[in-house]
Amino acid sequence: MNDFLRKAFQSYYLESRICFPERFSRREFAFIFWGGKQMVRHVSFKRRDELLAVLRRRVPMHAYYSSAYYEKPDAPTMMEKKWMGADLIFDLDADHLPGAEKMSYEEMLFEVKKELQKLLSFLMDDFGFEEKNMGVYFSGGRGYHCHVRHKEVLHLGSQERREIVDYITGRGLDAKDIFRERVVETKRYGERLVPVKRLEMPQPDEPGWRGRISRAIIETVREVKESSNGIEKLMSYGISRNRAEKIIEGLSEERMKRIEEGMLDQSPEIRRFFLKSAVDEVAVSLSTGKPDEPVTADVKRLIRLPGSLHGKTGLRVQEVKIDEINEFDPLEHAVVFGEDAVKINLTKPFKIKMKGESFNLDPGEVEVPEYLAVFLVGRKIAEVK
Amino acid sequence: MNIYIAAKYPFLRDAKEFVRREGVSTEEILHDPLYQRARDMGMQRVNDAIERGIVGNYVTADETDALMTIFSYPVARMIVASIGSDFLRGRYALAEAKRAYSSLTGEDDEFVLGVAKEFGINATDGLKIYFTDYLKNAPTWSDKWKLVNMPLKGGWIGLKKVELARLVQESLREKIYNELIDLRPPPNIKKVFAEDVNRIKNMMQRKEMERKVEIGKASISKFPPCMRQLLAAAQSGVNIPHVGRFALVSFLHSAGMDTEEILRLFSKSPDYNEERSRYQIEHITGKISGTEYKAPGCSSIKTWGLCPVEKMDDICRKVSHPLTYYRYKWRGKK
Ligand code: SF4
Repeated sequence: MNDFLRKAFQSYYLESRICFPERFSRREFAFIFWGGKQMVRHVSFKRRDELLAVLRRRVPMHAYYSSAYYEKPDAPTMMEKKWMGADLIFDLDADHLPGAEKMSYEEMLFEVKKELQKLLSFLMDDFGFEEKNMGVYFSGGRGYHCHVRHKEVLHLGSQERREIVDYITGRGLDAKDIFRERVVETKRYGERLVPVKRLEMPQPDEPGWRGRISRAIIETVREVKESSNGIEKLMSYGISRNRAEKIIEGLSEERMKRIEEGMLDQSPEIRRFFLKSAVDEVAVSLSTGKPDEPVTADVKRLIRLPGSLHGKTGLRVQEVKIDEINEFDPLEHAVVFGEDAVKINLTKPFKIKMKGESFNLDPGEVEVPEYLAVFLVGRKIAEVK
Repeated sequence: MNIYIAAKYPFLRDAKEFVRREGVSTEEILHDPLYQRARDMGMQRVNDAIERGIVGNYVTADETDALMTIFSYPVARMIVASIGSDFLRGRYALAEAKRAYSSLTGEDDEFVLGVAKEFGINATDGLKIYFTDYLKNAPTWSDKWKLVNMPLKGGWIGLKKVELARLVQESLREKIYNELIDLRPPPNIKKVFAEDVNRIKNMMQRKEMERKVEIGKASISKFPPCMRQLLAAAQSGVNIPHVGRFALVSFLHSAGMDTEEILRLFSKSPDYNEERSRYQIEHITGKISGTEYKAPGCSSIKTWGLCPVEKMDDICRKVSHPLTYYRYKWRGKK
């Protein structure tokens, strides 16, 4: 029944070269084949052409490999496999974003890319990883994967990986410590010296989260002040109209300057608002697997093989160069199939822009380019006649 | 290194060098009247660990004094190893590490850097440390030490001297603990310290016994399957997810156990860390956080995947909270 997709995938694998992970022979591979429900696991390959042979002859619907590398990657249990290390993997999936249910596929891809940019800023600025230790891949579905292969991270345990995830998602951030009380002067009342304290926010150039929070607060304040709908913006954070008006009024040029110098001497409520919106702005939404078990912390997870095709979209798991992320459009650059017309039977109306061409399709019998046919059949909203 | 410094940090390589250079045998240390003071102080170290949770700061008036202090350290280790209680091993390792921390905070940067280096913690001159080294050594189970609250930039974290000293504490604790597990004490140590060893052994056993009476087999058998499973996992050192630990501790607390009792249950785990466990328990029971967390009900436990569905029994099907299960079983018995 999936003959159409299988044939299409086969033609792709026959011609294309896929990306082989580092430490190739130490990785576990796993596949889901057409019609098969179970994942075939614990496969390993000594040579690259053995993997190519599987892709070309058996044509999997999905292909994965392990982020971990093992002494015996094909052994059936973890104990026998003998873990040697693992890349650090970050998984960004639109599914995880607030409001994802209401977004179209293209909107999701757009939103998730913003998260990717935030993630990369953490990884490069705070953690100091360079492009040569990292790989960014479009997942073929609704997100991106980022692999870090820096030699210092390969041996980190799950607890330590979780700390990295918590850093990126802002979990456990000590908000109480962000604004610090500082004595700015002492006043003399007769005999008594009374310290004058002031709450200070972090400086924009401080390292770590403190600097990020500071920059985000300054930006939010600016935005609220300068945008024409500042009041609505504040209200969207749950602040009453009355208060919102007061805040905007209070943001005089002088106040703004003081904020930029690190003095957020506003009411506690307003401070809380700015802090919360800053944290939301800075933190990355990462996909989580099991409850409370971020997949990044997993030292042995399976990830899609770069260069393979995603069985539900026909899009390629595509490497994206970091300086080309802005221009990267999955619906153009991860499309591998050609323009040949294919007749399909569409079950519901569908709108999409792919390879630069806009489609606005009604249900029923239509002729579309092969790449779109694969995409629609993969997503199970069309069948091939 | 001068001998007075070695006496403060008897676990350092240079301090061990003093012991080696003296060229005395274990036999002599244990029997020769010359080393009576070292033996007394060794015992003192262990007692301090048990009673106060930190080894004392022993004054060294002269070089002999200092030498005796250095020798008291291997003596103390032999005593602890011969008692063979895991709880004591953990407690003693922590007590030594805490003493080291406290002394280190009074030293200059350079000295702390050197000690850190000996423990594999590589910090630069400006007390900057690479984040992977930080993660391996910092007590990140405590909120204050979570990576997210550190000034991380380009992979490096600038630390204060006390913070670096704290990392040394953690690493030292682990090192001493691991060494104690492997240490084979000479058989006659039990004879030399017969009275004390017996006293401590009895004390440890009594604590074990008390625990057994308090939540002995009888009441563990009244635990619902989910809690029995979590407890078994915690005791065998299987890594349980954060929510699991939370569910278990809040359950035990509601069932009437206090921090010390819960702590002793966990002390069976191979990677037991008294300080960390205490922090976690007191966080959940409200001693630190000020909020006492309620024990989660079946529906939460189920969504976390911690309810062993295949082991659910008839009572499970009637209740919606593990505590109700527990109380139901108590009533059933009467
Ligand atoms: S049903 Fe409730 S009490 Fe029984 S095992 Fe599951 S979670 Fe525990």
